[in-house]
Amino acid sequence: MTDAVLKIENLQTYYGKSHILHGVSMEVAEGEIVTLLGRNGAGKTTTLRSLSGLTPPREGRIEIFGNDTTRWPAYRIARLGVGYVPEGRRIFPNLTVLENLAVPMTRPGPWTVDKVLELFPNLGTRRDSWGRQLSGGEQEMLAIARALLVNPKLLLLDEPSQGLAPLLVREVFRVVASMREQGISILLVEQNARFGLEVADRVYVLNDGQMIHSGPARELAKDEERVRALAGVGGKEDGVLTAKPKTSAA
Amino acid sequence: MELLLFDAFNGLIQGTFYALMALGLSLIISLNSVINFAHGGFMVVGAYLAYTLAPYIGFWGALFAGPILAGFIGIIVERTLVRYMYGRPDPIYSLLLTFGFALIIEDVVRTIWGAQGLPFEIPSALNSPVSTTYFFVTGYRLFVIAAIALATIALFAFLRLSRFGIRIRAGILDLETVSTLGVNVYLLRSVNFAIGTLLAGFAGVLAAGILQLAPTMGDDVIMATFVAVVVGGIGSLLGSVLGGLLIGLAAGVTTAYYPAASDVVIYIIMAVVLIVRPRGLLGQEGLFE
Ligand SMILES: Nc1ncnc2c1ncn2[C@@H]1O[C@H](COP(=O)(O)OP(=O)(O)OP(=O)(O)O)[C@@H](O)[C@H]1O
Ligand SMILES: [Mg+2]
Repeated sequence: MTDAVLKIENLQTYYGKSHILHGVSMEVAEGEIVTLLGRNGAGKTTTLRSLSGLTPPREGRIEIFGNDTTRWPAYRIARLGVGYVPEGRRIFPNLTVLENLAVPMTRPGPWTVDKVLELFPNLGTRRDSWGRQLSGGEQEMLAIARALLVNPKLLLLDEPSQGLAPLLVREVFRVVASMREQGISILLVEQNARFGLEVADRVYVLNDGQMIHSGPARELAKDEERVRALAGVGGKEDGVLTAKPKTSAA
Repeated sequence: MELLLFDAFNGLIQGTFYALMALGLSLIISLNSVINFAHGGFMVVGAYLAYTLAPYIGFWGALFAGPILAGFIGIIVERTLVRYMYGRPDPIYSLLLTFGFALIIEDVVRTIWGAQGLPFEIPSALNSPVSTTYFFVTGYRLFVIAAIALATIALFAFLRLSRFGIRIRAGILDLETVSTLGVNVYLLRSVNFAIGTLLAGFAGVLAAGILQLAPTMGDDVIMATFVAVVVGGIGSLLGSVLGGLLIGLAAGVTTAYYPAASDVVIYIIMAVVLIVRPRGLLGQEGLFE
């Protein structure tokens, strides 16, 4: 892959004294959707935090769109064209929907407040509601909309389906898949392995802060046993490999 | 009755000062996560700078220039000192730093302008009583109330309507997420600190017209300001305003009946609030309970 939008090499990331990532390397090519799977506590969120500048790695190298961003502050990485939809959405509860959408520093590009409200009509009808009043699904839409306003070329999504009803999960993944047509490359962290593998081109599996698998998503999607062994996702329900339950409700 | 009115009115004036000081302090505590013991010092700096400039640019010019300079000094202090306190989980560092800085400000002011009180001229048009029965209601005091009300409304409008203000409100709860959205949070914090010190400077100039200028004029206000923030609820700007007005009025009314208790009453209010409602009048749930 020559046209990598994201390239990370040998990341060693710590929270204080605890060593979390032990030499993580991966790549995302332009226009690609890459899914990162792994058990609870495997280091998926930490990987995203490392490359978005929130928890810079102590060692290793991060290259985004050809820039060495390893030591950049988060806001400069975002301004390069990196959208981040954090775990748990982290909507600003004390701000209205429209105010939430006023926070991002908008880079020039196709996404405007009107456009994202077109994409998520539900948000439009709730534009003056407080963030804390939104349902889990609405919060997820708002978190994606907010990240889109940065007009990203690379979008990082941390468990967007977490805690959502199946219908909403489908909606979220429809939107994620449609981002590709907008020329946005995507790095997706998921516990919902079925959806995660369905939309992705390639997949990485992280365990205990180390990559234990990488390959085409299609291959792994056919082999549920293997997925379970690698990513440790729970039992089967209606053919869906389900994730562990998390706190926030749909 | 007239005496009660007199004391209540004085209390209200005091309360508006506490409210304005508490607003700035609250902004700084919320976004910069720094307990700014030097807040009273910025009040003094604003007042003395206005005093020095007034002969050249007049009262009205000084009323604006003093606070703006206090805000400017705030940015410098934030960039050179306060920012090293960010990310330190133990608040003792920022307490020590700003407490030391408050002492330095006081001594610098004493060195430049002297320890003696200095009179601050206000326009004579503002200085006369508006009524003969209520001699204590001078034009200037009404002006102070109006000016502080206006500054408060302007601040709330800024936080509600401007993008910068919205980002400050967002950052108060989740600065990290604000930074992932491309916002320069370092600048956001600097400007926020400056807005806080600017408000303190404004309070200082207005206070100088009622009291005298003195290097220690911040000391009398800073403790009451902290009480106002705690009573109103840490993290709530509206709470700070309410807290300031409440303790000012309470101290004023107490003066009418039992002057000796007027200083103590604000701490009693704080104790009662902390026992009955630890988060303060309008503070967020879960912050302290
Ligand atoms: N702020 C922190 N301080 C210390 N340790 C942390 C912190 N955040 C996470 N960890 C630890 O780092 C490890 C990796 O956590 P991380 O959140 O990256 O996992 P994850 O793969 O995203 O898991 P999940 O599926 O539960 O979201 C875990 O062992 C976790 O306990
Ligand atoms: Mg995670």
